[in-house]
Amino acid sequence: MSLPKRIIKETERLVSDPVPGINAVPHEENLRYFDVTVDGPSQSPYEGGVFKLELFLPEEYPMVAPKVRFLTKIYHPNIDKLGRICLDVLKTNWSPALQIRTILLSVQALLGAPNPDDPLANDVAQRWKEDERAAIATAKEWTQTYAKPEPEAET
Amino acid sequence: MSAKIPRNFRLLEELEKGEKGLGAEACSYGLSDGDDITMSDWNGTILGPPHSVHENRIYSLKLTCGPNYPDAPPDVQFISKINLPCVSLTDGKVDKSKLACLDKWKRDFNMETVLLELRREMATGANRKLPQPPEGTIFE
Repeated sequence: MSLPKRIIKETERLVSDPVPGINAVPHEENLRYFDVTVDGPSQSPYEGGVFKLELFLPEEYPMVAPKVRFLTKIYHPNIDKLGRICLDVLKTNWSPALQIRTILLSVQALLGAPNPDDPLANDVAQRWKEDERAAIATAKEWTQTYAKPEPEAET
Repeated sequence: MSAKIPRNFRLLEELEKGEKGLGAEACSYGLSDGDDITMSDWNGTILGPPHSVHENRIYSLKLTCGPNYPDAPPDVQFISKINLPCVSLTDGKVDKSKLACLDKWKRDFNMETVLLELRREMATGANRKLPQPPEGTIFE
């Protein structure tokens, strides 16, 4: 199966010029399917956490957005229990001018700027609005519990 | 050759189809645990086909999508008791060798394919008049 040049270029650049705090590695047997990690942004409840995601480039990419999902449990008003993400650039505001790296940066930015007015996880969004301090405390707890960075592999 | 959609994104598509109710009216399916990030365990229902002993009955099933789904077919088991040649009379498990879509599974088949084929099985000339256990009984 031949891979479009655009995807090859994007993948090469992700490796040669990585985005700080973001790591994306394609599966050997499916070069459209990436294992992703995103570091929680500083000054956010997710700081210190490393979040695992998966990303898939559909056949129609880049005419349609990549599909992205969190695999690490996260307490966030725009991310649901199955890790699905409510983010405009993944849906209606997708443009072929965007790339894997810009999408992952947007996901990271979403962690720094939760938006409870456009919720996907309704229970989380409601708590975020009613008691923001408590919601942030829960988000920090979940980060500690589920998003602990894996120790560096010893060589 | 087209892009090969990975298991999890394929299951998310099936979930959305089930949630939006775009699927065939004769059957439905959804995650049995909405918190399960692996999306392995599913509930299905089949509405018994008309002009058969199954008419107006609602059958519940369990479907399990393992780590190799959709390269490998799901495991399918009836919860509601039913008398059908491809279904074990002791525990309700569907015998993969006796249902064509499971026996000759293809990657582009999905849970709906399986549920609809089971429903067609209920309506075949040989099966539609088979005596059935009382309605509403379940496999223990």
